[in-house]
Amino acid sequence: MALPNQQTVDYPSFKLVIVGDGGTGKTTFVKRHLTGEFEKKYEPTIGVEVHPLDFFTNCGKIRFYCWDTAGQEKFGGLRDGYYIHGQCAIIMFDVTARLTYKNVPTWHRDLCRVCENIPIVLCGNKVDVKNRQVKAKQVTFHRKKNLQYYEISAKSNYNFEKPFLYLARKLSGDPNLHFVESPALAPPEVQIDLVAQQQHEAELAEAVAQPLPDDDDDAFD
Amino acid sequence: MASTTEPTALKREEEEEDDSKPSAEDEDTGAQIAPIVKLQEVAVTTGEENEDVLLDLKAKLYRFDKEANQWKERGVGMVKLLKHKETSKIRLVMRQNKTLKICANHLVQPTMSVQEHQGNDKSCVWHAADFSDGELKQETFCIRFPSVENCKSFKDKIEEITESLSKVSVESAEEADAAANLIEKLSVEEKGKEVKTETKEEPAPKEEKKDETEKDEKSGDDK
Repeated sequence: MALPNQQTVDYPSFKLVIVGDGGTGKTTFVKRHLTGEFEKKYEPTIGVEVHPLDFFTNCGKIRFYCWDTAGQEKFGGLRDGYYIHGQCAIIMFDVTARLTYKNVPTWHRDLCRVCENIPIVLCGNKVDVKNRQVKAKQVTFHRKKNLQYYEISAKSNYNFEKPFLYLARKLSGDPNLHFVESPALAPPEVQIDLVAQQQHEAELAEAVAQPLPDDDDDAFD
Repeated sequence: MASTTEPTALKREEEEEDDSKPSAEDEDTGAQIAPIVKLQEVAVTTGEENEDVLLDLKAKLYRFDKEANQWKERGVGMVKLLKHKETSKIRLVMRQNKTLKICANHLVQPTMSVQEHQGNDKSCVWHAADFSDGELKQETFCIRFPSVENCKSFKDKIEEITESLSKVSVESAEEADAAANLIEKLSVEEKGKEVKTETKEEPAPKEEKKDETEKDEKSGDDK
């Protein structure tokens, strides 16, 4: 686990604190970026989970240490203790649950008490859901407090890169910073042995019968 | 902290807003905060510079989680088949949209077989030693395309490649055999006449035996 302000890699890294009510999708959002998967099942985060997340930019590789904190009060753990030395933040709410937006000022206040003058992105998650309770024009908190706002969907990947891009631009002071292709290294040759091959085929046979998690005709982009 | 020009800009943005779409997507409402690092522009290398693109299609990739016995999403983006200009090696590379991170990177080997995914003709399944994060990992992949046609083009292209690779490997195996035979002959010749005569005599008794068995079979048929 990366300690505050500790450079464990030879490229720039930042401590990113992610806060917001329980169930708004903080962990799902981080997981989406880490492995690509979309976790539907809700398992409340206890305390905090720190995940390093790398991005390749035209200004080199950068890393966010994502401090994915518990949203549920009873699992809060150290709370403010997690915010110390935070260099940037995401406040998440759920556009399908009004209360999670109402609680944004509290999260913001707690965060700013510990971290002064850091770039903060407000994220309205789950915009893919049809029955929204918080409409885009009802979101005004960011204007009052000078935060950046993005509507996102961890499910459909809508705007999913924007919070990181914004924070990277602010932290570097470079408004033209953008993501670039990471180098695709040449994969080494592999010797295929028969036993392993048979095992892979058996696994394949099992996998072929399993349906895809979102096996419908939804358009993806 | 807000600049003096902001109120008017703010008003305009609010007027433009409607329920369906958030206004001015990339409008910066963030505070002016001093940057904490200075970054220099660097040269970008994709690692694909010496390769020709054989195929480039929009797709969604999944990996099979053995423990959970289920498919998990890996990413949405463009799947490419790339052929190296010098080594002629062919690999599959897929990058995630927007972040451009690698979600698959593996060689197309002659043993690679792409199977239809049960009950879905827009997706197919295969196994590979994946090098996405710089270390080889055995993965079972499933890829889904927006159309049946694209899925078929993908499958067909892979089959075409693996078939030609198998031919090459058979040819090279034959060449290797031929070379081995030559070496054997040479070494036999070097050993001198005695060995030579022995090897010459050997085939004869075999042929006789063969004749005998043939005769037996024939006589059996007659009966």
